[in-house]
Amino acid sequence: MSLPPHRVDYSPIIERPPIKWPNGEHVALWIAPNVEHYEYMPIKYGPRDPWPRTPYPDVQQYSYRDYGNRVGFWRMLEVLDQYKIRSCVSLNLAVLEHFPEIRDAMVERDWDYMTHGIYNTRYLYAYTEAEEREFYRDNIETLKRQTGKQLKGMLGPAISGTVRTPDLMAEAGLIYHTDWMHDDQPVPINVESGKLVSVPYSIELNDSPLFRVNYEADYFAEICKRQFDVLYEEGAESGRVMCIALHPFLIGQPNRIKYLDDILSYITSHSDIWMTTADDIAEYYIKNYYDQAVDHGEQYRV
Amino acid sequence: MPAERRQGMDHPHHDWSPISARAKLSWPNNARVALCAIVTLEHTEWELPEGSFSADQAGGLGMRPFPDYPRFSHREYGHRVGVFRVLNVLEKLGIKATVAMDTQTAEHYPYLVKHCSDRGCEIMAHGVSGSQMIHGNMSVEEETVFIRSSMDIMEKATGRKPRGWSGTDYGESERTPDLLRQAGFDYLCDWVNDEQPYPMRDGLTALPTMLEMDDLFTMSTRRVTIDRFAQSLKEGFDSMYRDGATNGRLMTINLHPWLIGQPFRIGHLEDALSHVMGHDQVWAATGSEIVDWYRNNPPS
Repeated sequence: MSLPPHRVDYSPIIERPPIKWPNGEHVALWIAPNVEHYEYMPIKYGPRDPWPRTPYPDVQQYSYRDYGNRVGFWRMLEVLDQYKIRSCVSLNLAVLEHFPEIRDAMVERDWDYMTHGIYNTRYLYAYTEAEEREFYRDNIETLKRQTGKQLKGMLGPAISGTVRTPDLMAEAGLIYHTDWMHDDQPVPINVESGKLVSVPYSIELNDSPLFRVNYEADYFAEICKRQFDVLYEEGAESGRVMCIALHPFLIGQPNRIKYLDDILSYITSHSDIWMTTADDIAEYYIKNYYDQAVDHGEQYRV
Repeated sequence: MPAERRQGMDHPHHDWSPISARAKLSWPNNARVALCAIVTLEHTEWELPEGSFSADQAGGLGMRPFPDYPRFSHREYGHRVGVFRVLNVLEKLGIKATVAMDTQTAEHYPYLVKHCSDRGCEIMAHGVSGSQMIHGNMSVEEETVFIRSSMDIMEKATGRKPRGWSGTDYGESERTPDLLRQAGFDYLCDWVNDEQPYPMRDGLTALPTMLEMDDLFTMSTRRVTIDRFAQSLKEGFDSMYRDGATNGRLMTINLHPWLIGQPFRIGHLEDALSHVMGHDQVWAATGSEIVDWYRNNPPS
């Protein structure tokens, strides 16, 4: 028997049949800006407190994040545009409703979106099964109405979920889940119906955990380049995924922005990279490698 | 109340306004960046008053049981030693400070009030003490008294009504901007969401602080070293100076003398601010000067 949560077959990466990206690229690279809105006066629902520093509101932390939408997003966008990046946004869907200029800028660039919930202050932990079903219906409908796109994936709201989440995502027609930090390649996630895969996101190459503490942007640039070098080398044998996770309120600060330029300049100077989105990675993987991965995983079941 | 899903902000204090969609803000003499240096002088009480709330854990060896000699005295270093180093650096570089002073400092350290006034600093209100912040569980009566008595005590101690407010540890309730306006304040530095001043409801002006340019947040909460903090100040200024060519920027920094006034840190502050002031199109001004200019010269 597998160990809980019984969602993923063990599969050592050195034994796996190789993955080839569409044109033999070494690395499928995607950029994931987290475009978010945190509520001023959220309801505390479940085990996590959105604003633990003070009784609500926490104007310092609220407005620090709001800076991302007013200023940081636009500074980040200039750099992404310079490198013609089509991002795959981790999106609090209410941003589309609150801040139409941000919606329009993303739609105009034909970005892809995975849902990151409605608000970053509404976690899934305490959702009932019925509430969570309604949540996916709302997410799919809202994205379609606001951007014309079909929702394919999710990074849970503030990376929260329930034990039912993968089953309910697949039931709603979503095909990828990025809360899993377990691999450098997509991996099938066992669900009751349909097909769901994990696509590697990152909480390491991620400005939020780094800049909450005493790391700065030169270090962020350094680790992104080092990560890329290793994946690029390994990816010659079997394709790898690399994600860089951004938060406009952090990377869009004036003291940080030049390091995003530095990272993208370094990475895009290489050939054999697939600059893509999680939507496209998930679709390509499911079409070409999902069945192979499930078959391969069988031999490790105990 | 949880947010309603509709266009705009989920609170009533100011409008949604992305910087990309704004008219051009011009500063005096075509400056690209207005620099506002806030120097925060707050007294940290020997014993936390009954019923007070504070998110502030800074100083000493972290919060320890009463009596906490190291924390109390570490913070007191700012009033005795650090502030003079910080003000000297600013004065040397031609930067007039905006001093955020709490009422315990104003009442019990008349020397500092006089020293700051004599040097042409603007003094703005900063609550009662470093260990009492405004918070969402305060009653409206408590908060009204807190704000109005701050206004009155500051006026009595400094001889002028303070025009600006910077909340202790950026503390606010849902009512704070409205109560500040009713008490007669003109501008507010608690909201860290912009690189330009912007209008708040009913005529109050937001003078946003750059949170990452607050030494306490970056060096005490986040534990970034002084050399990296100074580098970030320079890097941040460089981006704002570039962006300020098309639309004026506001660089409000917040300095705590007990922290940045330490001998090993002060040189890094001087180095960073020398870099800033070494540029032609920089306007170093006080909070009131910036707010008055902004009100009289709306973006166009």
